[in-house]
Amino acid sequence: MNPALRISNNWMAFFAIAALFLTARLFGAEHTDSHPVANAVEHAGHGHDHGSAAESVSQFSLKQIAHSYLTAYMFTLSLCVGCLFLSLAHHLFDAGWSASIRRVTDTISSLLFPWMTFLVFPIIGFAWHGDLYGWFYTDPASDHSLDVKKVLFNRETFSVLLPGVIALLGLVGGTLRKWSVAQDKDGAAHWTSKSRKLAAGGIFLFAFGTTLVCFFLMKSLQHQFFSTMYGVYYFAGSVWVTLITLYILTMYLSQPGKPLEKVYFKRQQQDLAVLFFAFTVFYAYIHFSQYFLIWNAALPEETFWYVLREVGSWKWVGMTIIFGHFFVPFLLLLNQDIKRNMAVMVPVAVWAWLMHYLDMTYNVMPVLHPAGLKLTFWDPLLWIAMVSILGALFRRKYQTAAPYPLRDPRLNEAVTHHEVPTSAARSASASTH
Amino acid sequence: MSALSLKTYGMLAEFGTPADIFEAAMRCRDAGFSKWDVYTPFPIHGMDEAMGLRKSPVGWFTFCGGFTGFFSGMTMIWYMNGFDYPLVVGGKPLFTPLYAFPVSYELTILLSAFGTLFGMFFLNRLPKFYNPLFKNLRFRKATDDRYFIVIESADPKFSVEATRAFLTDSCHATAVELVED
Repeated sequence: MNPALRISNNWMAFFAIAALFLTARLFGAEHTDSHPVANAVEHAGHGHDHGSAAESVSQFSLKQIAHSYLTAYMFTLSLCVGCLFLSLAHHLFDAGWSASIRRVTDTISSLLFPWMTFLVFPIIGFAWHGDLYGWFYTDPASDHSLDVKKVLFNRETFSVLLPGVIALLGLVGGTLRKWSVAQDKDGAAHWTSKSRKLAAGGIFLFAFGTTLVCFFLMKSLQHQFFSTMYGVYYFAGSVWVTLITLYILTMYLSQPGKPLEKVYFKRQQQDLAVLFFAFTVFYAYIHFSQYFLIWNAALPEETFWYVLREVGSWKWVGMTIIFGHFFVPFLLLLNQDIKRNMAVMVPVAVWAWLMHYLDMTYNVMPVLHPAGLKLTFWDPLLWIAMVSILGALFRRKYQTAAPYPLRDPRLNEAVTHHEVPTSAARSASASTH
Repeated sequence: MSALSLKTYGMLAEFGTPADIFEAAMRCRDAGFSKWDVYTPFPIHGMDEAMGLRKSPVGWFTFCGGFTGFFSGMTMIWYMNGFDYPLVVGGKPLFTPLYAFPVSYELTILLSAFGTLFGMFFLNRLPKFYNPLFKNLRFRKATDDRYFIVIESADPKFSVEATRAFLTDSCHATAVELVED
C-alpha cells in the first residue's frame, strides 16, 4: 500500500467518526437541556435520588456519545502514557533489557502529540456544549466544593491546560524518539545522556501531567470527589494494560521475518510479563487503598463516589474489577512458566483489555447511567475506532525509522540479556580472556 | 596411611574462564552425572540450563506460606473481633474482609518470606557447618578468579580413574584433583 493511501485511510476513519457524530446529533434532536449532567452528579452528591432525568438518556443523545467517547479516549490515552512511562523508566534506570523494544514505546508515546492532543478537542467541545461535566455551567458561588476547586475547574483553564499538558507529554515522548533516531545515524553516546537528563525532568512532568489530565477528564465528572490516589490509580491501570499490550505486540514483531527477530527474545518477553504481574499487584494495592481509606473515614464528600457505584449492576461491575482485574491474573501469573505460555498469555491480554475498558467505564459511566451498567453500540464502536486509529498511526510512524535503536549503547546488553550464550558468543568471550 | 584407606569426597576440576566451565557443565550434564555442582566467583547466566537443573520447587513453599498467612489473618480477625469478643468500632461491621485485608496481606508477605527462606534452607539441607571442600587450598580460588566443577564420589557414575580422565580429556580442565572427606 502506498503511503498516501495509508494516510487517506486514517483520515477516512476520522471522517467516518465525524459523520457518526453528525448522525447522532440529528437523531438526538430532543436534547434540549444545556447542562443536565449536573443534576445527576449533584443528586448523587447528596446521596439520594440518582437523577431520574439522567436514567432516560437516549442512546442517540450527544451525552451518550460524549461519555462513550471519553471512555474510549481514556483507554487509548492509557496506552500512550503507559508507553511514555516505560520509555522514561528505561532512561532513568539506564536499563539494558528494554533497549530492543524502546522504539516501540517511544513511537506510541510520541502519538500523544499531535494525535491524542487532537483527539481531546471533541471532549472539550462536548464539555462546552454541556454534555459531560456538571461543573462547566455551575456557578461556584452556589457550590462550595466547586468554589474551592475553581482554580482548576473552570472552563478556560480546562480548555487550555488539558490539551497543553497532553501536548507537552507528547513532546517529551517525541523528543526521546527523535534523539534515539538521531543516534541511529551517528551512534554518538551524548544522545543517551541527553535522553537521561530529559527523562529526569520528564518523570515529574509525567507524574503531574498524567494526574492533571485524569483529574480533568475523569475525576471532574464528579467534581465534588476527593482522592489523592486517583492519579496513581489511573497510572497503575494504564501501565498494566500497556505492558500486556506490548507483550503481544513485541511477540508479533519478533516472529521470524519480522523486524525485532534478532534483538528480542523470550527472556525479555518474560520480563514484560513479570512487570505486568507487578502492576497487577500495584493496581490492586492502589485501588484498594483508595477504597479502604474512603470506607474507613466515611466522609460523605468521598463516599458518595462509591455509593453511586454500588447501585444496581454497578456493584457487580465493581466485583468483576476486583476479581477480574486482580485475583484472576494474580493467581494465574504466580507460576513463572505461565509467563511464557502463549496459550495462556494471549487470552490474558484480551481479558486485560476488557478489564481496563470496564475499569474506565466504571469511572465514567455511572454518572450518566446511575441505575446500572448500560452499554450502547457507541461504546464498542468508539473504542474500536479509536484504538484502530492509534494502531494505524503507530504502524505508519513505526515504519519511518529503524524498528529498534540500532546503535544504542545498551543494545548489546539487551540482546545477550540472560540468554544462554551461543557457541559464537562463547568463543568470542573466551578469546578476550 | 595409604591413599586407598582415605574416604574420598569427590573429584575437583579447575577451569580458567566462564566459557570453559560453561562448556564443561554441559558435558557433565550430558554424561549423566547426578551428584555434582559448579562453583564460580559470580553468577553465570544460563548455567542452570547448561547444568540441566530443574526449576526450583521453592515457589511451592512460598505459595503455601502466603496462603496460610492470608487465611490465618482473615480467620484470626474474624475470631477475635466478630466471634469471640464482638466489638463495634466506628460503626463498622463486626467482620468484613475489607478491614481484615491489610493485616492478612501483611501476613501473606511475612509467611511467604518465611516459606521461601526456610523452604530454601530445607531443600538445600542447610544449615550445614562443614564441607570437605573448605579444606582444599585450590578451592579457595572459587571466590576469586577460578571456576570449579566437583563430581562427588557418591555419584553412581563416579570412578576415580574414569572421572579424572573425563574431566581432563573431555572437559579440558586446567587441573584435576581428588578431594578427601
